[in-house]
Amino acid sequence: MGISFWNKKKFFTGLLLAAFTLTPLPSTLYAAVAEDSKIFTPYFDMTLMEAAFMPSQGNIFSGGNINTQVGLLTRITQKDSLFGLYNFNYAGPAFQPQDSKQFTDRSMSHGFNFEYRRNLNEKFRVRPGVSFLTDYSRTGANEAWKNGLYNMNSYGGQLAVDYNFSFERNGFVTAAVIARKIKFPNYTDLLTEFQTAGNTSETGGGLQDQTLTQFSLRPNWNGFFGGFTYTLQGYKNQVVVNDTGVYGDTRQKDKTTTLDAGFRQKLWIFELSPMLSYTLHRSNQNFVRYKFLGATPTGGSLLAGDSDVTFVEGNYDYNEMTLSIPMDLNITGKWAVGGSINVTRRLYTQRGARDSDNNYTDTRQKNVMSTLTGSIRKRMNDVATMRLFYSLMVASSNNKFEKYMPYNYTGNTLGVAYQLSY
Amino acid sequence: MKRLTFMLTALLCLNGAAFAAIDWESKGMQMVGEIVANPSAFFYDFQQDLEGTTPLPPGKSFSVQTGLFPTLIPMGYTNLSGKYRLHAEGRLAPGVPQVDLIGGYWDMIWAKMAAKQSDTVDSAKFNGYYVGAIVSASVSPRIRTFWGYKHSALAANLKFNEGKEPELLGTKVNSFESGFKDDFLIAGIETPKGINKFWSMQLNYGVRTQTFSTKLSWYGKFFELGLNIYPEGVLVVHPVWNFHVNF
Repeated sequence: MGISFWNKKKFFTGLLLAAFTLTPLPSTLYAAVAEDSKIFTPYFDMTLMEAAFMPSQGNIFSGGNINTQVGLLTRITQKDSLFGLYNFNYAGPAFQPQDSKQFTDRSMSHGFNFEYRRNLNEKFRVRPGVSFLTDYSRTGANEAWKNGLYNMNSYGGQLAVDYNFSFERNGFVTAAVIARKIKFPNYTDLLTEFQTAGNTSETGGGLQDQTLTQFSLRPNWNGFFGGFTYTLQGYKNQVVVNDTGVYGDTRQKDKTTTLDAGFRQKLWIFELSPMLSYTLHRSNQNFVRYKFLGATPTGGSLLAGDSDVTFVEGNYDYNEMTLSIPMDLNITGKWAVGGSINVTRRLYTQRGARDSDNNYTDTRQKNVMSTLTGSIRKRMNDVATMRLFYSLMVASSNNKFEKYMPYNYTGNTLGVAYQLSY
Repeated sequence: MKRLTFMLTALLCLNGAAFAAIDWESKGMQMVGEIVANPSAFFYDFQQDLEGTTPLPPGKSFSVQTGLFPTLIPMGYTNLSGKYRLHAEGRLAPGVPQVDLIGGYWDMIWAKMAAKQSDTVDSAKFNGYYVGAIVSASVSPRIRTFWGYKHSALAANLKFNEGKEPELLGTKVNSFESGFKDDFLIAGIETPKGINKFWSMQLNYGVRTQTFSTKLSWYGKFFELGLNIYPEGVLVVHPVWNFHVNF
């Protein structure tokens, strides 16, 4: 019972942060605007990845990613332009960081962004815009896309300001604020429905519906970039569970702060693009762990940790560091060999790790996921590349309770990726 | 650097343990189960292999095409497709894109033979068609983007004689009647690889069933080699070989 709620919470957090913080508009268009004299500038980017996954636990499976972005920049006057972008994204079965999704979960989304761009003067530009997103989710049960429990619709606006401080070195700072209304139309509280079998309708009542507000400040200069992002999620109906084990009146609020930095540089035959980010996630939501279905409080109080029903305050608070170091070595103009190291380390600030019998231990839960990748890249022409890659992934955690989700496993991935970008 | 070396060594040591025994039998049963649950989706993926959804090369007015692998062989899809250019790029006015009509039909020869000669099969009908249009425009001397619409339909009906029904996963299968119909939107990009040789990548998306696929194609004067990806299909990757003549 507790497990399912906990998975849902992480699922939503991951989904939303990924949807709203990691899909910026193509940055290449920024430079294109100033130089391009055309009225219409199309943008097309298509990436396809397909791979076989071999985990140490479970059977072999295949999965892939498809991302297609189609955009059009229209210059109305010397100072005014409109930009529209459609984004199709499919994320197939794959290895997932611990506490996120099942390997077999998939998602598919359609996103629309419309942006008005106005150059105030040589250095300042404003970009108000609107966005719409529909996201479908699907589990290993292969339900129809339209029936996904976590299907999501969102809409909202943005206001961004660019300050260009160096034309020669492409130096600019972008300050942005975005606001979204997010709804989960199919979401229902399955547990409550199960417990009250006499109900004839869903009982979720928009439990996951929420508003999202995000502020960001991102400087760029000469291939170096960094950023500060603050995201606030306010739940419309979801309330916080108290230490008595019942829900109170306080609405759930999540806050996420991220700092990141990196660069993209080409030095002789090397292409290097390392990135480091640090995230602090805080939520006022708590957690009640039921050791098994039908568990009742035993032994000490709910706070002691040895009861079959245990209350964990700040269960969802964590600090996470992500390091990514991809590198390509251009052997010839067409061929390159590459390598990449990715490490994600998440430390929960309040949640204890559990032993294999689902008992809490005295140490805080820590998850680490490391991936080592080797690849061969062929540049087919100016706009197309193909990459053959192999990855070895090691997931480790001091949480040994793995009845529902794997925490400690290794996996091999062999895949091919294509990209066509114009 | 030392830590990095240790980490890499540890990762390589764990490499052996990472390979669990692959349970091919359970994988096979899972795939059979998926086909039985939705046979038309399985057969439609092969229809997409023979569908010609790239634009005609510049300067060509029409074409005929037939899918060789995996459609004609081994699936037995006898098939014929065609494209007809309604408008050449820039002919009416500068910037007006090329417009092609596309369409095709297939019928499974194995199904016809089985219905006539087999004692087990009572009747079998496997066929399908598609019609649509492709609009293509050059965005640079080496890049064409194309956009399209197609309507695809398929029928997959099979009935076994009484007392001769086969068993699948412990269950007797008497018959299945399955169909597929959807309207697709197509978006793609094409770039030349040489004289009369092209490479393209496209996305096909069915608006009603939310079926989608990606096609990677290399094509020249007579042949097309493809790698079609059906992420939600039973067989995710289809290598494709088609024959065409452009006039």
